[in-house]
Amino acid sequence: MTKGESGGVQEDQPQSKKAAKKLQKEAEKAAKKAEKQAKLASENQAGDEEDFAKDRYGILPMIQSQEKLDRVLVHVKTLTEEKADQVVWLRSRVHTSRAKGKQCFLVLRQQQFNVQGLVAVGDHVSKQMVKFAANISKESIVDVEGIVRKVDQKIESCSQQDVELHIEKIYVISAAEPRLPLQLEDAMRPEAGDEEGRATVNQDTRLDNRIIDLRTMTSQSIFRLQAGVCQLFRETLIKKEFVEVQTPKIISAASEGGANVFTVSLSISQSMKYSLKFMFRAEDSNTHRHLTEFVGLDIEMAFNYHYHEVVTEIAGTLVQIFKGLRDRHQTEIQTVCKQYPCEPFKFLEPTLRLEFPEAVAMLKEAGVEMGDEEDLSTPNEKLLGRLVKEKYDTDFYILDKYPLAVRPFYTMPDPHDPKYSNSYDMFMRGEEILSGAQRIHDPQLLTDRALQLGIDIEKIKSYIDSFRYGAPPHAGGGIGLERVTMLYLGLHNIRQTSMFPRDPKRLTP
Amino acid sequence: PTIHTAANLDSVLGKSSGVLRDIVINASPSEVPLSLLVLHGLVCEQYKVLSTVHVHSSVQNVPSKLWNCLGEGNHCRSRREYELGFTLVWKDVHKPQMKFSIQSMCSIEGEGNVARFLFALLGRRYDAVTSTRIDNWVDVAIFQLKKGSSKEKAAVLRSLNSALCKNPWVVGVDLTLADVVLYCALRQAEIDGFPANVQRWVKSCENLACFNLALKLLK
Repeated sequence: MTKGESGGVQEDQPQSKKAAKKLQKEAEKAAKKAEKQAKLASENQAGDEEDFAKDRYGILPMIQSQEKLDRVLVHVKTLTEEKADQVVWLRSRVHTSRAKGKQCFLVLRQQQFNVQGLVAVGDHVSKQMVKFAANISKESIVDVEGIVRKVDQKIESCSQQDVELHIEKIYVISAAEPRLPLQLEDAMRPEAGDEEGRATVNQDTRLDNRIIDLRTMTSQSIFRLQAGVCQLFRETLIKKEFVEVQTPKIISAASEGGANVFTVSLSISQSMKYSLKFMFRAEDSNTHRHLTEFVGLDIEMAFNYHYHEVVTEIAGTLVQIFKGLRDRHQTEIQTVCKQYPCEPFKFLEPTLRLEFPEAVAMLKEAGVEMGDEEDLSTPNEKLLGRLVKEKYDTDFYILDKYPLAVRPFYTMPDPHDPKYSNSYDMFMRGEEILSGAQRIHDPQLLTDRALQLGIDIEKIKSYIDSFRYGAPPHAGGGIGLERVTMLYLGLHNIRQTSMFPRDPKRLTP
Repeated sequence: PTIHTAANLDSVLGKSSGVLRDIVINASPSEVPLSLLVLHGLVCEQYKVLSTVHVHSSVQNVPSKLWNCLGEGNHCRSRREYELGFTLVWKDVHKPQMKFSIQSMCSIEGEGNVARFLFALLGRRYDAVTSTRIDNWVDVAIFQLKKGSSKEKAAVLRSLNSALCKNPWVVGVDLTLADVVLYCALRQAEIDGFPANVQRWVKSCENLACFNLALKLLK
């Protein structure tokens, strides 16, 4: 026992020394903690008592249109050196916030522009205000008053690099929930950034949370550019005296191929028409370039003697769109390029036109085995695009004179060689964006062709009848808006250029 | 020394695949390759050529006379009815370049080399001495007359003058590539006052139809 006890004591002694040290440390810690708490409490107390800035921040009551404020809210994109030292109000989202002692840095975002904001303790700003600013959840919408100040060093992370905003008032207009389903930073990261091991957001997560994904600068730019495509399409055609028409999308019978599109529009008038509309495709194709609902830009035009009059017109319109995008939307193109790097879109004016046999010869020369009257497979289309790019250095070209056998019944046969037809496809970066042809305007020939292809004449009776009372020779084609945007920007998936994509597997959001 | 052969594209370019053989020439609008335009005229005299001019998206504001520098082409016929395509693209390039058969040929750089290729399409054959002399004159024209100092230019003018005192054309009794390239370089070098023989030769060049379009561009 004694031995044991003494042993125990002996053993105990160093332990108790350690324990004593431990205790001491704990005591110190506790003391520090208490001190800190006391300090914090006193600070808070002091703060509560003397928060001189309490009117300069807070959560505003819901805007229910109670009052008309005579306040000018400036746009973030206008914050430049010219506005230095001015007091401005603006409404923006809190993109990120980072508190550091007595100051808090905010990145304020409005559409595809952002600016650095700074809340720092001073004459107008109290500690409590800095704390409040730091606690505003990301993506909340705030009204901010501040002074624009020039900065010595460019702020690389913001679109407004030359100035920052010294915030004097900050009010939350609409608070976001603290946890976001995806981080904007992650959604905007270039794919090449994978090496750093940082998170990126996959396509499906993006689409499930499309409302947030659409806020990224990349998405903002994509859809501004897409609006530009529509605007340029209209502008160009209006200048050429085309008329915009609206046609019903609901028809009685499922007619073959794209025939439904033209059933109505042709009987109305005989001049040049175009239409922007939603189109539906019921194929079960889950690819990077197919949607079940998309926006079609259709052109239909009567010509005098040769359908190339129409081909030239359509290609010219597309070239005007490309030029317009290059000249008006360079900022958007650059922004998208940051996340999805891509060579600028190249084209020739007038547009390069090749004929189908030439394409077959080019492919055969490159080692592809295919028949003369065989349609181009998707891989062959892409390969052909590469070959054309190599020789002509253009991302846009027309392929004319498709074999009659691979086109719909209403396609006009080639007068010189009945194996071929007066039809054409247009390609961007090796992918088809437009498919068009001279349509048969003679009811007899139209009936013959339909019969040859085994189509039930009864079902397309109204279409054939519309040509019985004099119809001019005409041709046309339809372009998919989403595809044009995707291929112009060199994106890889059509869902990126559709705001709320619809495909066989997606109906929400 | 010229050996004339029956001009036939198949004999010059090998077997035909039955479709248009398209020659693509990229050139900068700031440095017009005049000799290639003259050669285009010569090739057109011999073959059915589909000539087209394009402007690449890398250049803007190309003068209108360059848009139709190959003449008012009649493009009503189908592409397959032509033997040869001549596609001129105004583009932002350092040197004129030619792309023909992308599977078997690299792109050919430099006005002189493209000119050699185009002239060879005419199927004229020369003995070794003559063809070497022609080649030499092409080099002289491109490197000394176009890019050389005033001293070098004067020297070329002297040797050209003496070459022309024996023959109506630079090499022998027929027009060759040497005449085309030298004439164009001489006009673009902006030299005032030619020696007598050169003056006579310049006139006889300008009397030929194939020089017409190029002359229009110079004005």
